[in-house]
Amino acid sequence: MESLQSKAKELIKDASVAVIIGYAAGTKKGKTKPFFAYSEEDCEKLIFTPECVNNLTIYLTRKFDFMKKGKVAIVAKGCDIKTINVLIQENQLKRDDVVILGVSCEGVVDKDVILDRAELTADLPEDKKSIKCITCDVNTPSDFDHLFGEGVESKAIEPMTGGIYDEVDKVRGMAQGEKWNFWMEHFERCIKCYACKKVCPLCYCDVCITEKNQPQWIETSAHERGNYAWNIKRAMDLSGRCTFCGECDRVCPAEIPLNLLNQEMAKLNYEAFDGYRAGYQTEEKPPFVSFKEDDDEGFIR
Amino acid sequence: MHNLYVPHLMTIEDVTEEAPDVKTFHLVFKDEKMRENFEFETGQFGEYSAFGHGECTFCIASASSRKGFIQCTFRRSGKVTDALYNLEIGDTIGFRGPYGNTFDLEAMKGKNLVFVAGGIGLPPLRSLILTVLDNREDYGDITIVYGARTVKDLVYKDQLKHWAERKDVKMVTAVDPGGETDDWTGKVGFVPTVLEETAPSSGNSMAVVCGPPVMIKFSLQSLEKLGFSRSDVITTLENRMKCGFGKCGRCNVGNIYVCKDGPVFTAEEVAAMPNDF
Amino acid sequence: MTLKLLKEDGLKKLIEALNKADTRVVGPKRNKAGMVTYDDVNADTELELDEVIGRYSPKDAFFPQHETVMRYKLDGKDVHVKAETPVIKETVLLGVRPCDAAAMISLNKVFTWDYVDTLFTERQKKATIISLACNNADESCFCTSVGFAPDGTEGSDILLKKIKSGGYLAELITKEGEAFATTHKSIFENAPAKADTVAIAEPTKLDIDIDRIKSWLDDKEKSWEHPLWEQLAAKCVGCGGCTFVCPTCHCFDIVDEPYGDQGKRVKNWDGCQFDHFTLHASGHNPREHQPQRWRNRFSCKFKIYPDRFEKKGCVGCGRCIRVCPVNLDITEAMTEITQIAK
Repeated sequence: MESLQSKAKELIKDASVAVIIGYAAGTKKGKTKPFFAYSEEDCEKLIFTPECVNNLTIYLTRKFDFMKKGKVAIVAKGCDIKTINVLIQENQLKRDDVVILGVSCEGVVDKDVILDRAELTADLPEDKKSIKCITCDVNTPSDFDHLFGEGVESKAIEPMTGGIYDEVDKVRGMAQGEKWNFWMEHFERCIKCYACKKVCPLCYCDVCITEKNQPQWIETSAHERGNYAWNIKRAMDLSGRCTFCGECDRVCPAEIPLNLLNQEMAKLNYEAFDGYRAGYQTEEKPPFVSFKEDDDEGFIR
Repeated sequence: MHNLYVPHLMTIEDVTEEAPDVKTFHLVFKDEKMRENFEFETGQFGEYSAFGHGECTFCIASASSRKGFIQCTFRRSGKVTDALYNLEIGDTIGFRGPYGNTFDLEAMKGKNLVFVAGGIGLPPLRSLILTVLDNREDYGDITIVYGARTVKDLVYKDQLKHWAERKDVKMVTAVDPGGETDDWTGKVGFVPTVLEETAPSSGNSMAVVCGPPVMIKFSLQSLEKLGFSRSDVITTLENRMKCGFGKCGRCNVGNIYVCKDGPVFTAEEVAAMPNDF
Repeated sequence: MTLKLLKEDGLKKLIEALNKADTRVVGPKRNKAGMVTYDDVNADTELELDEVIGRYSPKDAFFPQHETVMRYKLDGKDVHVKAETPVIKETVLLGVRPCDAAAMISLNKVFTWDYVDTLFTERQKKATIISLACNNADESCFCTSVGFAPDGTEGSDILLKKIKSGGYLAELITKEGEAFATTHKSIFENAPAKADTVAIAEPTKLDIDIDRIKSWLDDKEKSWEHPLWEQLAAKCVGCGGCTFVCPTCHCFDIVDEPYGDQGKRVKNWDGCQFDHFTLHASGHNPREHQPQRWRNRFSCKFKIYPDRFEKKGCVGCGRCIRVCPVNLDITEAMTEITQIAK
């Protein structure tokens, strides 16, 4: 990680950026933490390992004040940069305001996987990888100002197949009643902690709908109605926008399969809107926030 | 098994429109025993329910020396106050209380009292003022300095007139510069400035201040200039509340719970609090 | 302290007897999502007693996540109100970790402070707590650094210690514990003179001094605006996960849920880490920024709880550390402050 650290120091030294948002070693084995480097000394703590699971682009959003400090540099994996693209599409971020320190990545660890020292430098076995990495096609980031790590060639995978999408297809194969029970059983465990929306860079509403009480659109209680309303509402809001960073799934204390829910919506978007996938463009607007006269309306029944 | 969360039912017997978006409710308990036995001390507050919308915290604005009814005054500003505002005479609301600590009437006896209030800060003091006036002979000089943004925004307009008419009360009413009407005969100026002009004596005196945070801050400074010590100045704090009895963890300022240790505090106690309100 | 013996099939027999007596049994159980939480248990085979600690605390046995407190019906200008009186069964919390049992005592202080919240106390009164001493700790456990122990007895009626050859040694701590053992005397047999119990876990002792931390917090000038809060909590996303899994966090919300002209008033868990927790209707928010909210939580555990309730606010269970998405580690703060406050 020497070149990442030295580039970071350079950017701080010549005041190109006010802060570097990156990763540092965590306090517990197997964990890393988001880290903000303001000085050259701070930069020495920056690392990048398969344990760097967080999507740091959350700190670029209006939920935090980092963008008010000036230009910002961010250590970003390919999947994180997809989120940056959506933020740019939605006018939440200007490309010029951020220096992307792209990192080549072969995959990050799955939830609760703790690697031992030897495994950190070796190839990460597939069964220890986060499910999002199984179908990754941005191992080498698409956009960056500086690139670190050896180039990694992405596997040739047809979009929306394999990995999580096999599970999506399995649920699609369920009968209506079965599908309802499947989801309601998961939502039953929801404790309405809202960790999912808090950790999501694309849930950046100044006042969340759950906080609006005239009327109370989404009940705050963790009962059937409240849980169903919240989880479905968030999935709808992310439809066509979610870049599958997997953070919501990772942080959910109730183990609700949020990747499955959100990627079902992503697959629907792909199928309904000419192969649209979130995070791969910055010009075109996401399907649900744009209207073209020749939009296919065949699915409106 | 007494359930702390269940409110008593009250009927709205009268509604007064005090100012734009500000109403006073005259409330009577539906239950006869509650009507006869309910007691509170001045300074205390209650949690008022608009069933179906929620609860809201207001002080009890009527005199603690009067029995059989209570009054509360509130400004329409959110979900619950909006629902309450739309209720009419004869409608039912809920009440939980009385909660909180009280103004120390004993400490005030024999002293000269200065009441300083701004805008919607008068209701908490009204309970105290009315209770004091019900036992006028127990107290020394009484000065009331009250101001609002405009003439329309003054609350308890009739009450202000009565207090002004009393020979044993010095009533000074003010509106902010620009808030006066052509026929306004009161003062024009911000409350702290008017307070300094009124210059009540600090000898053997206590002051009670209530109003928007900025007004309280400058009024406290003015009172210090006039020679009042912090322990002789009292104020009421408000914070977002839900339970009102120290369990929901919402209203604390450092280790002080506004619903239990307050809402009445001395300026000395407020100065000792961390910047958490 | 009387010692009793639970033979190898003791727990099986106990749960069967409790089921027969229509007593609710709550213990560590693996749910369909694969995580261990305290939940209703019907057979000893469901108990996951080797798990270091469940994801959630057992506080919801006394303080449910979502609870109806009252029902109302609008009737013209009138309203009918009915207090909710939940039917509470006799309950046994079985296999509770000693840290969690101690936390219940702290919680009790809040819920009985001047006003007694019977929704909490009635549940607590009807519960017998049988704790299980820990033989394993993980990196996040730190009970011994905050004055508790993996074989602590505070808050428990009975403490079980695993015997190497099978079964459990049962220490009867309270009168209720003794009465319970007498009721089930065929299961709580006389203890042998010696019992070779499995070694008690030894969580890493951290360089933490909670008295020093408290003194530092007490000094408003030194601590309130210290840059440490921003440094530690700048990355906090305000997810509130820590407050929900914490055994001593007790903040809640009261809301009305209307359904036409009737409805209920409910009490739901809430958390001081949420950005609108202290938001006034005027728009003013005393704790506008996350570091301020995090400072409040830390102060609540190490200053407010001891000041107001003379109890510890943190039992060292480590759940907040395990669940935090950004590795905001409370022990990191505690170690740093212990150093600063030297």
